Amino acid sequence: MVIQYKCPNCGSDMAFDSESGHLSCPSCGRQDDIETFPETNILRKFDPEEAKEYHCENCGAVILTEAETTATHCSFCGAPVLLADRLTGDLAPAKVIPFTISKDEAVAAFRKWTKNGRLTPPGFASGDRIKKMTGMYVPFWLYDIDGKADVAALATRVRNYTRGDTIYTETDFYDVRREMDLSYLKVPADASEKMDDELMDKLEPYDYGELKDFRMPYLAGYLAEKYDYDDEALFSRVESKIIPYIDSYISSTIAGYSTVSYTNKQIQAHKKNVYYTLFPVWMVYYDFENKEHTFAMNGQTGKVVGKPPISAFKVAAWFTGIAASAFAVLKVISFAVGGVLW
Amino acid sequence: MRDFQSKWLMTLYFLLIFIGIGGVSASAAVDQRVYDNANLLSDSEIAELEAVAAEHSGRHGTDFLFLTSEDPEAFDVVDYMGDFFDAWAAENGQENAVLLTMNIATRDVYLAGFGTAETTLDNQRVNLVLDRILPEMQRGDYAGAFRETVTTASRYMEFRPGVNPESIFFKNWFQLAVALLLGGGIVGFMVYNSGGRVTTTASTYFDGDNSRVTGKLDQFRNKTISRRKVPKKSGGGGGFGGGSTGGGRSFSGGGRKF
Repeated sequence: MVIQYKCPNCGSDMAFDSESGHLSCPSCGRQDDIETFPETNILRKFDPEEAKEYHCENCGAVILTEAETTATHCSFCGAPVLLADRLTGDLAPAKVIPFTISKDEAVAAFRKWTKNGRLTPPGFASGDRIKKMTGMYVPFWLYDIDGKADVAALATRVRNYTRGDTIYTETDFYDVRREMDLSYLKVPADASEKMDDELMDKLEPYDYGELKDFRMPYLAGYLAEKYDYDDEALFSRVESKIIPYIDSYISSTIAGYSTVSYTNKQIQAHKKNVYYTLFPVWMVYYDFENKEHTFAMNGQTGKVVGKPPISAFKVAAWFTGIAASAFAVLKVISFAVGGVLW
Repeated sequence: MRDFQSKWLMTLYFLLIFIGIGGVSASAAVDQRVYDNANLLSDSEIAELEAVAAEHSGRHGTDFLFLTSEDPEAFDVVDYMGDFFDAWAAENGQENAVLLTMNIATRDVYLAGFGTAETTLDNQRVNLVLDRILPEMQRGDYAGAFRETVTTASRYMEFRPGVNPESIFFKNWFQLAVALLLGGGIVGFMVYNSGGRVTTTASTYFDGDNSRVTGKLDQFRNKTISRRKVPKKSGGGGGFGGGSTGGGRSFSGGGRKF
């Protein structure tokens, strides 16, 4: 099934506008609220041989997509289209964070980021070789996690004092036990195979204040994908993500000791709720010295991640500069304290 | 790149200023500084030592004096030294001096700082000098030990009074190592973070309303006590510290057996 949103005024294909949060018509400028968009203007077309091939309702061209794509453009006439059968039933997202950074803002934010690169080659910083910018909704699973932890530890308190010419070191040993309930809300894990997990982790955090119930019109005009991994498959990844958080919470509950060594640590975590959610990401494809570099930008906060090229010259210059200045500062301090330079 | 160059220039500029300040000199018009009563040195060694002592004496306005004796009856090398210096100071009209006295018969060595040298070569520095020359003394290389006394004491006296001139903080290799480590650390951190940092923390997804400690136990089990002696303040072993001469001249100093 192919879905297109037709403008009630002029019949053009409407797309989601990140600034107003409405559906907007590129021809006449009409804006429509997503919640109240008239049902009659939603053009749905079931294809006879569904799931294989889609046709654009404007021009009839075949829409070629990858198996994961849920929102795209018609490659012939450019109309934003959603592949609804990939967004319904089991595949229907529960939540979405809409784009708040428009394409122009994203370009500006990316240029600003390249200028801040202290170690990137000079040509890179100009930021003018953006080959392609793609606004993409990336599928994530958000987990509400309930857990219990039961830890036992041997802790010590050490006290030093001097009586006469003897130093006493007094060590008190304590058996420490803590039982606790743990709760973490909406911990995300990227469910797309294509996206680099490390890159997606660095894009966090998103502001959940703008988490909306999913509606298809948010996707109009952007690319979107469906998940490759279901929530069961990704739970272990989320678990490994929160274990360090739990560890630091546990140690925060055992305070006031000199040393703590755990003799037993049992942590159970299970998922309470799972939300299939789409997060906004600008993918930036940047050409530099005949190589394409891929960066990702958080479509809500503007945070940019990805490996930029590193200039060996700049690394050497920074290293020399810092080491030489540090050496000079040490010399000045040693002169101030000792009155001698060498 | 321009700011690196200007940083370098600033550094160089500062260095030059400081070197310039360090080069202040005053001269002491004394013709004999080595009194080798025990005949431990050859004539050429004495001449060489006189030259080295004269050069460094001029630099600090403090005379470097050497006194050797061979007197098995000498009760106290410090008294012997005091008497000698009282006479020497009156004769030469010079109160600032570093005096190394040794009695080859009793195998005593004593290093003292008079006048300004009492602060510029305090007890701690005297002991550091003695640490360095003792191996040569024990080997019988007295000329070498004396030369080392001049150069080491002269170097120590360039440091501000009170600081330990052998502190690791003043060592070039240490300063260089710290600078290189700092440069490597900071640049490594920059390279590591050039691709964006993880900014989520343990509290990002933490639900404080539903996380709580439900059971808590802190049970005292046992106690151990260990004792050790307060370490003695290190005096370099066997120094007798400073004092004052029969003529009322106070000095810093320290002595050893070799």
